[in-house]
Amino acid sequence: MAELNAKLILEKAMPRVLKATVWGALNFFVVYYLPMMLYPTDILPFDYATQLIQFATISVFFAVVGQLFSGTIIGCGFGIARALVIIAYFFAVSDGGVFSVTLPVTEVTVNLAVDISILLLMIVSVNLLSIAKNLLEAITLLTEKSTDIDLP
Amino acid sequence: MKIVIRMLSIATIILWIVILFFSVTAVYSVMNLGINVGEVQMLPSSNGITFSLPFSITNNGYYELADLNLTTRVTDPNGTVLDLTETVVPSIPRGTTVNTSHTIPIDLDAILSMNHVALLLNDSSFNVEIFAGLNFARAVPVQLSTNATIPWGAPFAHFFIGRISVSPHNSTHSEATIPVSFENHAIIDITGTLKLEFYNNSNEQIASGMANINTPSQQSYADSLLVYTRQQDISKLTSSGNMHIIFETPVFVVEWWEQYG
Repeated sequence: MAELNAKLILEKAMPRVLKATVWGALNFFVVYYLPMMLYPTDILPFDYATQLIQFATISVFFAVVGQLFSGTIIGCGFGIARALVIIAYFFAVSDGGVFSVTLPVTEVTVNLAVDISILLLMIVSVNLLSIAKNLLEAITLLTEKSTDIDLP
Repeated sequence: MKIVIRMLSIATIILWIVILFFSVTAVYSVMNLGINVGEVQMLPSSNGITFSLPFSITNNGYYELADLNLTTRVTDPNGTVLDLTETVVPSIPRGTTVNTSHTIPIDLDAILSMNHVALLLNDSSFNVEIFAGLNFARAVPVQLSTNATIPWGAPFAHFFIGRISVSPHNSTHSEATIPVSFENHAIIDITGTLKLEFYNNSNEQIASGMANINTPSQQSYADSLLVYTRQQDISKLTSSGNMHIIFETPVFVVEWWEQYG
């Protein structure tokens, strides 16, 4: 029994863990490390490192759990959750689509407002597609399970 | 079903790539914008003062900048709107530079007709609110707003009427000598006619006189004005009263009341 468990872990769990680790690292590199390398915090006149690390945390977490549970109903659930969290996160960070910041420039204070509604709409659209995809995946998985015939 | 899922996956990936590409190039484009704002210049004009703000925008990014709008609103310390000016640049295509200036004409006659005599006599400051808007890549509207204070130098700062002395001029008239002084803190020269009308404490006009004055910017004026009055009116002169001061230039006429005595 113990031998069977070890074999199952080695064959099924280990590749998933390795894949999840690689995906997590890749996500962290693309979402956090690459933007920080291209646009260090001292280039832009406002601090965006906090938002970036928050987004990187969300991305890495869902990338890891997505890979760990890929091909399962739980994986599809995490996929839908990721899409919803990303939509909510972008809405919260951009204050509903209008990103406002106050910049001190020499002796005066400049208020900057950037209307990123179109970008937000694109992000929402992509995530809605992702939700649809995950729902369809979940339906497919359930259909496959219910139509499996166990022969004696 | 699997084909649909695969198509959705591909569409999602493509859209994420588009979003990522647009975001990266947009940030790059913003970082490559060259915005140079010159010094605010105060220039005398035919009917007052003109504030000019020269600026240039060099678009070295990947996207067009459209509908650039620069609006300034000048208000006095009480919040009264003195000027509202708008400068519009319809488009700044990529790889081009636009040099322009935002000009705010201050019509002194219009301001003084709004009973802003305090601005003539006391140094003050104007509040300038600046709004700038543009459409980045015709997709992302950006708005900037700030406010600044511009000092205002009064043309008749520290206006002072000294002690009036009366002496006989001839058999019919007496001569009153009125010391008048002020400092021209304005950026324009004060050239015109200063007319004085004397009123006693019963509000009867006793005498009037005038003098041509020419006081350059940031210079002081101190002189005695001679006013002549009939002998029979001298008795009406009281130790205190009001003085109606009228200053006329080819551009504007201002008048105000001062107390003497």
